[in-house]
Amino acid sequence: MTGMHHMLAHFPVAFWALASLMILVGVLARGRLADLCQAALLPVLILGVLGALATMLSGYGVWSLEALLHSPLTRNHLLMAFWSLAVYLMLVVLVWVGGRDAFSGLRGLVLVVLGLLGAWLFALTGTLGGHLAGAPTFFSALPRLLGWELYTTFYVPTWVLGVMVLLAIAAAVPGFRRLKRTHR
Amino acid sequence: MRDKAIPLLLAGGLVGLGLAWVTQGSGVIHNDPDRNLYIPDQLTMPLQVKVAHDGERIWFRYRWPTERPHVYHDMLRYTDGEWVRHGASPVGPQPEGTYEDRVTMLVDDGSVPDFGRYGGYITVGDRMRFFSDEAPAEAVAAHPYLGETLGQTEVRKHLPETRGDVAQWDSVVDAPQLAAQQASGYFLDLWHWRAGRSNAVGMSDDQWVGEHRHSDAGQGPYTTNWDAENARPQWMFDPEATGRHALRWEDVTAERVDFDGLYYLAEAFAVPFDPDHDWQEGDVIPRRLLREGEGSRGDIRVVGDARWSDGYWDVTLVRDLDTGQPDDKAFAPQGHYDLAFAVHRNATGSRWHYVSLPYSLGLGREADILASRVTEGAPDWSQPWFDLTLYYPGQVDWPLLISEAHAGAEDIAAGLPVRAHHHERQLAHYGVEMEFQDAIRRQWALTLVAGLLLLAGLFIGLLPAFRRHHSGGTP
Repeated sequence: MTGMHHMLAHFPVAFWALASLMILVGVLARGRLADLCQAALLPVLILGVLGALATMLSGYGVWSLEALLHSPLTRNHLLMAFWSLAVYLMLVVLVWVGGRDAFSGLRGLVLVVLGLLGAWLFALTGTLGGHLAGAPTFFSALPRLLGWELYTTFYVPTWVLGVMVLLAIAAAVPGFRRLKRTHR
Repeated sequence: MRDKAIPLLLAGGLVGLGLAWVTQGSGVIHNDPDRNLYIPDQLTMPLQVKVAHDGERIWFRYRWPTERPHVYHDMLRYTDGEWVRHGASPVGPQPEGTYEDRVTMLVDDGSVPDFGRYGGYITVGDRMRFFSDEAPAEAVAAHPYLGETLGQTEVRKHLPETRGDVAQWDSVVDAPQLAAQQASGYFLDLWHWRAGRSNAVGMSDDQWVGEHRHSDAGQGPYTTNWDAENARPQWMFDPEATGRHALRWEDVTAERVDFDGLYYLAEAFAVPFDPDHDWQEGDVIPRRLLREGEGSRGDIRVVGDARWSDGYWDVTLVRDLDTGQPDDKAFAPQGHYDLAFAVHRNATGSRWHYVSLPYSLGLGREADILASRVTEGAPDWSQPWFDLTLYYPGQVDWPLLISEAHAGAEDIAAGLPVRAHHHERQLAHYGVEMEFQDAIRRQWALTLVAGLLLLAGLFIGLLPAFRRHHSGGTP
C-alpha cells in the first residue's frame, strides 16, 4: 500500500497546485486565459478532492493506526491532509454555488485567500510525506523559519482551541441566519 | 449578508489559524519531578573525538562544551548538627550543582550486531530507572536475580537478549544462559569517565552492560564515605597533610573550580572521621572517597590533565588494546568496532544525558572514526577532530521501537540502521514528545477538530455571499 499511496499522492498535489494557480489567474487576470481558468476550475478542484480522498484512504494502509497516531510526523501529516481537504472542499462548493460571480469583487478575494491557504497546507502535507518516505526537501526549512519544527506535533494550547471554536461559531451563526432567510 | 462582511470573516479565519500557528507546541510540555520529567533547555550538543593506537595501547580524546565544570559529586554538608547529603541522583540537574560531569562510551566488537545499527537504544529496556513508568523499587528488590542476587532496586541498562520477553524487565534469562552470552561476547564495554569520582585520581571507571550495567571485576576508583550506623562520614581530610578537616560549602557551590586545589577526598590524604572535632556550619566532606582502581575496573587511565578550560572539557583516556579481561572488549590493529558516546553535564545524572548515534571505529580500516597509528611515544593528535552531535534521548525504549506503535519497526526487523531514517535533532524532539505522548496526542486530536470547525464556520459564514449571485450549476 505504501507505493500506492505515494503514487496517488501525486494527483491531489498536481490538481490542487493547478487549482490554486487557476484561482490566481481567474481572479487577478483579465482576458481569455482568465476566462479559461474560471471555466475549468471546478472540475480541477473536484478531481483534486477525489484524488485526495483516494490518497487518504490508501494512507491508512501504510502503517497501523497505532503507528500513525504515535509519530509526530504522521500526526502532522494527517492534520495537514485533513485541513487541506477541508479548504479545497470549501472551494469546490463556493465555486460551484457562486459560478462566474465567485471570481468577482470580494468573493474573488475569498477564493484567492483560500487558494493560497490550501496550497500552503497541501505543501506542508506533501513535505511531511516526503519526510516519512525518507526523502525530505528543502521546503522543510520554510515552516521551521516561521516557527514550526516539523518533528514536533502540531497542537495548540487549550485556550487557543477555545478561541478557534468561538471564531467558528461567530462566523457560522450569521451565515446560518442568512441561509434560513433565503430559504423562507 | 452583504459582501462587506467577507473581509471580517476572512480575517477571523486567518486570525484563528494564525493564532494556532504561533502558539503551536505550547501548553503541554513542562517539567514534573513527580513523573520523572525534566526537559533540558538545549536538546543537542557537540562532541569531538580523536582516537590513536600504537599496537599495544589505544587513546581516546574527547572534547565538549559546558558553561561550567561540575566536579563535586555527592557531598555531605554539616547543617544544624547533622551531616546532610547533597547530591543524590536527581530528576534533571542537581540544584546545588553537586553532581559530576561525565563522558561515557559504549564499545562493541561486532558481537552485538544491533548495537552497530541502533546504538544505545538497544540498552534501554522496559520500565527503566527514572522513566515515568519505572519499575517499583520493591518489585525490583524482590526479583530473584536483579534484587536478591544483584541487590538492585532499579532496572538499568541491559541488552535485549538477556530477557525472555524484551518487553518485560523481569523476564531475565537464567544464569547459565547469561554466562554463555557474556562468554560469547554478547555484552557492551562501557568506558565511564567521571569528573568527580575518578578523574582526580587519574582514572576512568570501567563497566560493562549485559543483563545489567555491571562494574568490571576489581576495585573501582571510589567508594562510599558514609558511616550509616552513626549517620556521619567515615573519613575526613587529614589536617596534617592538607591543612583542613573539610571543604567549605561556599567553595563547593562556586562557579569556578581550582583544579590545583583540593576538591575531592582521596585515600592518600584521608583519616578516620573525628566526631569530636569542632565542626562548623557549612563544613563539607565528600561522600565519596577516591582511591586507586585495581583489576579490570582499573584498566582505563586518564592521560595528562583532564581539565575544563575556556568552556570546554578536554579528556584523554588510555587503555591496553587487549586487557585480557573477559569483561572488556579487546581492540586489535585492522579491527573494526562500534561506538556510542554520551555526556552528562550541567549537574545531571541518570538518563539526563546527551547521547550519540552509533559510529564505527577503524584501526587501519575504513570507518566513521579512523584511529591514527602512533609510531613512538604518545599521540601528537595532529589529525582533525571527528565532530558529532549528541542529543537528549527522552524516554524511548527498545520494546517500543520494535513494537507496532513504531512505524519503523519493520525496518528494524529488516536490519535498516537508525541513520537511514533519523537524525539527531529529529530524535531529540521525538524523545521529548514520547515523555508527553498521551497528552500531546489528545491535544493534537482536539487541534485537528478545532481547525476543521473553524473552516466549517468560515464556510457557513461565506456561503450566503456566494449563493446570492448564483443558485447552482457549473460556470
